Amino acid sequence: MAEQQIQTQPQSAGHTMARPQRWAQPFDANMTDQDVDRLLSESQLKDIDGEKFPKHIPLGGILKNDTRIAKFTPGEIVVREGDYGNSAFLVLSGKLRVVLSPSLPRDAIGRSEENTRSFFAAISQLWTSNWLPETRDTSKYSLDELMAGGSNESTRVVLQDIPTILDKHNTGAIETGALFGELAALGRIPRTATIFADEEGGSNESTRVVLQDIPTILDKHNTGAIETGALFGELAALGRIPRTATIFADEDAELLEIRWQGLRELRAYNGEWKRMIDERYRETALSAHLLESEEFGHLNDDQIKDVAGRCIFETYGSFDWYTSFQRLRSQGKSDEPVIARQGDYPDGLLMVRAGFARQTVKHGNGTKSINYLGAGNNFGLYPLYNAWKNPGAEDLALGSGLSALGYVDVVRVPASVLAEYVFPNIEQPVNTIVAASQKTVAEEALLEWAVDERFINGLQTMVIDLNSCVRCDDCVRACANSHDGNPRFRRHGKIVDNWMVANACMHCADPVCMIGCPTGAIHRSMSGGMVVINDDTCIGCGTCANSCPYENISLVQIADKQGMPVVDEATHRPIMKATKCDLCSDQLGGPACVRACPHDALKRVDFREFAH
Amino acid sequence: MTKNISILSIFGVIALIVVGYNAQKMDLNLQNSSVLTGYTLIAVMLCVALLNTRKKLSMIPLGKASSWVVFHVVGGLLCVALFWVHTNTFWPRGLYEGFLAGAFYLVSLSGIFGYLLQRLNARKLTKTGIEVIYERIPLELREIQEKAEEYILECTETTGSDVLANHYLNTMVWYFQKPRFYWSILFGVGNSTVWFRTEGASVKRYLNSEELDYFRRLEELFELKILVDTHFVHQNLNKKWLLLHVPLSVGLVIMALWHLLLVEVYAL
Repeated sequence: MAEQQIQTQPQSAGHTMARPQRWAQPFDANMTDQDVDRLLSESQLKDIDGEKFPKHIPLGGILKNDTRIAKFTPGEIVVREGDYGNSAFLVLSGKLRVVLSPSLPRDAIGRSEENTRSFFAAISQLWTSNWLPETRDTSKYSLDELMAGGSNESTRVVLQDIPTILDKHNTGAIETGALFGELAALGRIPRTATIFADEEGGSNESTRVVLQDIPTILDKHNTGAIETGALFGELAALGRIPRTATIFADEDAELLEIRWQGLRELRAYNGEWKRMIDERYRETALSAHLLESEEFGHLNDDQIKDVAGRCIFETYGSFDWYTSFQRLRSQGKSDEPVIARQGDYPDGLLMVRAGFARQTVKHGNGTKSINYLGAGNNFGLYPLYNAWKNPGAEDLALGSGLSALGYVDVVRVPASVLAEYVFPNIEQPVNTIVAASQKTVAEEALLEWAVDERFINGLQTMVIDLNSCVRCDDCVRACANSHDGNPRFRRHGKIVDNWMVANACMHCADPVCMIGCPTGAIHRSMSGGMVVINDDTCIGCGTCANSCPYENISLVQIADKQGMPVVDEATHRPIMKATKCDLCSDQLGGPACVRACPHDALKRVDFREFAH
Repeated sequence: MTKNISILSIFGVIALIVVGYNAQKMDLNLQNSSVLTGYTLIAVMLCVALLNTRKKLSMIPLGKASSWVVFHVVGGLLCVALFWVHTNTFWPRGLYEGFLAGAFYLVSLSGIFGYLLQRLNARKLTKTGIEVIYERIPLELREIQEKAEEYILECTETTGSDVLANHYLNTMVWYFQKPRFYWSILFGVGNSTVWFRTEGASVKRYLNSEELDYFRRLEELFELKILVDTHFVHQNLNKKWLLLHVPLSVGLVIMALWHLLLVEVYAL
């Protein structure tokens, strides 16, 4: 990337600052050594062997910098369904309640709006934008400013009338010592429930949303208790996906909030935490996934439990698939682990829970992609049904194969389970292979290309129809006008036929750029799910830019308001920041690039739909 | 977009009929219909001219630019019709009115020309199979030239012969220095290929197989440069027509407002 080739030689400058480091911006600057000592005496943490942590990431350092202690009073919401959170929670004391079903209404949980500019703020960019590139107000990077500004993205909300909630919702308690949130944090899935503080306790948060008429809410919703010692929120935090349920305090509760970087390291260096997180990941993810599926959604809790117990949870590919993908792509090779082989006898329904898989049929000396499956898609239902309906039939083998594109979570539901719970209740499934394989190679070219390039990961991919594009660059200018004079994409990229996939962040279904960010600066926005970078906490390490398989993140050298380059006070090397398309999340009217295109040539598309 | 133009054109025709009908009625009542048609014309002209302002205000939600372009196209055509209704002639009498009409026709024709040109050029550029950002074209050409000279030097060092080097200096360097055959590329004549086949390749009979290998590499660079030149020509024209259309439009609006002022002061 051109921006990454920026001169990094020592240079003199008008402004210096300390180079940001890992933990330079702690999760909670108010965490003290006493807090860490106290945490290390807690039952859930005292058995962790600190000796197994590397010297540069000590256990104490993780607790001090990647965690914070939060107190919740009864009714206060801890996590909300649909929010994108980057942390998991361990219940140190108190009890929380998770809203199981139906979900609380949006207005009841005070869902915050995106912080968009007002009309006048938007138009003021005409004269407030700096003529110089990549200028920043460097005072905002000081720790004092960050603390004062409350960079904490969590919004605390408070539930009202807890007794009525308890009356009317099926809730569970989370007691002192419970760790929760670890599944969402590590498992690439949303929070599965709302957990709230059940006991009196202080709070260090300022923004609260209060639930009205809790008795009525509890009347109409099933809730469950989360007790002390429980861990929750880990699936959403590590899975870069939204929380799946709202959790509120049932009584005063004290929670240890662990941001995902810390959770990742606890999992990496402590076997017990790894086992606990992985086990919960499997159990919770599987049940939730089965309940969400079309085939098993009608089953009751006992039946789901039975099905879950008989399913096999499988993972193909690597969690950090992007590293091998980049390497193999540069060598012109492909690494796609086989999940099911064409011609083999199917032994179970494969339900894709996360990631992407390619469905192929043999064609000549190669294989032709006929479909790609994402979360919620199934493979093998037709041949299994056929075998169940016509046990004597000759050709019951799989008519197509399935291979993993990167990282794929698959639930294998045995044929016996289907025969017991599914097949008697459904009509003969459609054989999609016949229709799909009748398409010509040329008709499938776009799909094949999109899968090869992994563009199917994109939810907001910038696609330009080159037959309509007059190369006026109005899109680039509009982007710059909306970002203080700095464009956040390049009208350049891979081309197939008359379509160009420009180098603009695709806000991926599986945003691998978020893996490894040491400060959590790159994250999903709380509402909307856009992948955005918090400029205040970005330390310019380039991990995200290196992780992005599509080269859509750029590192830029920042300057102060006068345009003088900002350099590290010790080494005099430039201070860098990661930048990318934020989908104009703070602008009125959505992406400026789309609105600015005079010929409707530029679109933001979900590539999974577009390629079809 | 074509569909939107069609829909808006229907409204344009209706608006024209309404204005024309009322003008006719005013004429029959011995009133001055030029006031109605004139004010309508200048109002539509001003609205059409707002497209450029919209481009500058891309940070605020003023609707999609493509919708504005549709309005610009249909509104522009409506202006032509209103102009004829207003003047009742193709070319009005009077020196100032003549200039005004001339500016009006130039703006209209440059607009139609530019619109069609952009639509055609977009496809021509796609056909090249490469994408080059206009501002980077000089850099791309420079890189091609440097690569060519690198081959020439390597050829001389490897083969010990300066035949290809001399030919490059005497003949081919002209081609690699900057975009060539502008008009030929614009009209799709293909003179550059003919030039290379005759002048460029005339040296082939004096080259041995090793030198011919280098010549083939030069040939590949030549073909790449044709594509870059094609981008230069078409993108250049895509931008340059606006240098005619926009200033003329500004001038036309100023002249029309002056015309309006004169009419208000002296004629009414």
